[in-house]
Amino acid sequence: MNCRDLETELTPYLDGELPAGARVEFEAHLASCPTCPRNVEVERHNLSMIRAAAKAAAPVAPEDFKLKLLASLRTDSERQRRGRLQQLTAMAAGVTLAMVVGHQAYRSHQRRLYEQDAAMRHARQFPLEIEQSPEAIERWFGGKVDYRVSVPRFPNARATGARLLQVRDKPAAYIRYDAPRQMGLFVYGDDHDVDVGTEPAMATSNGYNVVSWREGDVVYQLVTDLDEQDIRGLVPGSQPAPSESLPPQPTTLDVRPASFQH
Amino acid sequence: MMFGLSRSTQHRTQFEALLAPWLDPLYASALRLTRHEGNAQDLVQDTVMRAWRFFEKFEKGTNFRAWIFKILTNTFINSYRRNTRERSLQDESERQSVEARFFSSELTEQTQNPEAHLVDRLMSEDVIKAIDGLSIDFRMVVILADLQEFSYKEIAEILDIPVGTVMSRLFRGRKQLQKVLLAREELPASPAIDLNAFRERKKLA
Repeated sequence: MNCRDLETELTPYLDGELPAGARVEFEAHLASCPTCPRNVEVERHNLSMIRAAAKAAAPVAPEDFKLKLLASLRTDSERQRRGRLQQLTAMAAGVTLAMVVGHQAYRSHQRRLYEQDAAMRHARQFPLEIEQSPEAIERWFGGKVDYRVSVPRFPNARATGARLLQVRDKPAAYIRYDAPRQMGLFVYGDDHDVDVGTEPAMATSNGYNVVSWREGDVVYQLVTDLDEQDIRGLVPGSQPAPSESLPPQPTTLDVRPASFQH
Repeated sequence: MMFGLSRSTQHRTQFEALLAPWLDPLYASALRLTRHEGNAQDLVQDTVMRAWRFFEKFEKGTNFRAWIFKILTNTFINSYRRNTRERSLQDESERQSVEARFFSSELTEQTQNPEAHLVDRLMSEDVIKAIDGLSIDFRMVVILADLQEFSYKEIAEILDIPVGTVMSRLFRGRKQLQKVLLAREELPASPAIDLNAFRERKKLA
């Protein structure tokens, strides 16, 4: 090592950053050099003077500033917490929405299954169990199902007969009309399996139009090959699905027992 | 929700406990960086709020002091580069080899001078002025090494520069300080400085 090398390593040497091997060499040169020790001593002295003076002059942060700082830290922390809370709330709301949407989807899927099954069973043309007047049909259903079955009177349509049918393992009163075109009406006791409101909802299934609606505790599903226009004349207020979003229109369909209908 | 609340409070308490010992050093460094009390407070405030927001990223058990000083210097550099036109030395001198920088003739002359021994009691005020007179790159390493006593490795990490660069900047920065301080000792002081120096001496006496 020469004096020039020493100068290069003087800074790390004074800072105690010289690796052990280099330090040994550095000190060996110092021990043998006539001029370097003096320079190193001056450098060391100057550095310690500068450091001491700089540290002596180092200010402390004003007390009111520190308090202000901690206060804003707390405010920010509180804001963050509220933010997280809002996030959680939003997440919960999202989950609720997903559940509602999912439930809705499930419910409309359920109704769709009933529509399909009803349309299929109507198409099968099962033999009727009773072929009498509406009043007789209503009487016949008495005691066979847990709900009151009335035979609605449709304009220009005549009930010809009825039977019991299972629609998706659910007992249904099936009433057949034969004029002007044949149609089948399924009447279910309402256990909310068929998701429908009082306003008729229309769908198509197996080539039939299916109109579903609720009257009190009873759900009706009318399966017909009439077109929408004709159905609207038949079932007041019926709209193509999804019709639930429209303001409900009063149904004027008469579902009182046949004896009260005129 | 109660769990979230207590956890975030605990989180903040943890941060405050880690921060507390370094508020004064941060402020002292910020003051030398900005050379202005109001700006220094703003800088520390920005630094602490940033550190708090990134606290989740801080690995527990590692060097908090180096971590928050890195945020301090980054915050300073970002706002500094936006707000001032002072050019960084990095552009001009970093291109020269380390060797050339170490042996700038002007500086080595100074060290070779056996008379270049600073008086035993330097005026803090003079040292502060000399530090404040350094260009920003030199000032940062001098503050970190001589005021905060960070290791070269820590400084390299804080400033995101190689250890060799830390060393050469420190070398040159200190040389410049010595030069300024020695010149001050030799020159007859101006009356204003004299008065301050007198006060300082009186205080120390």
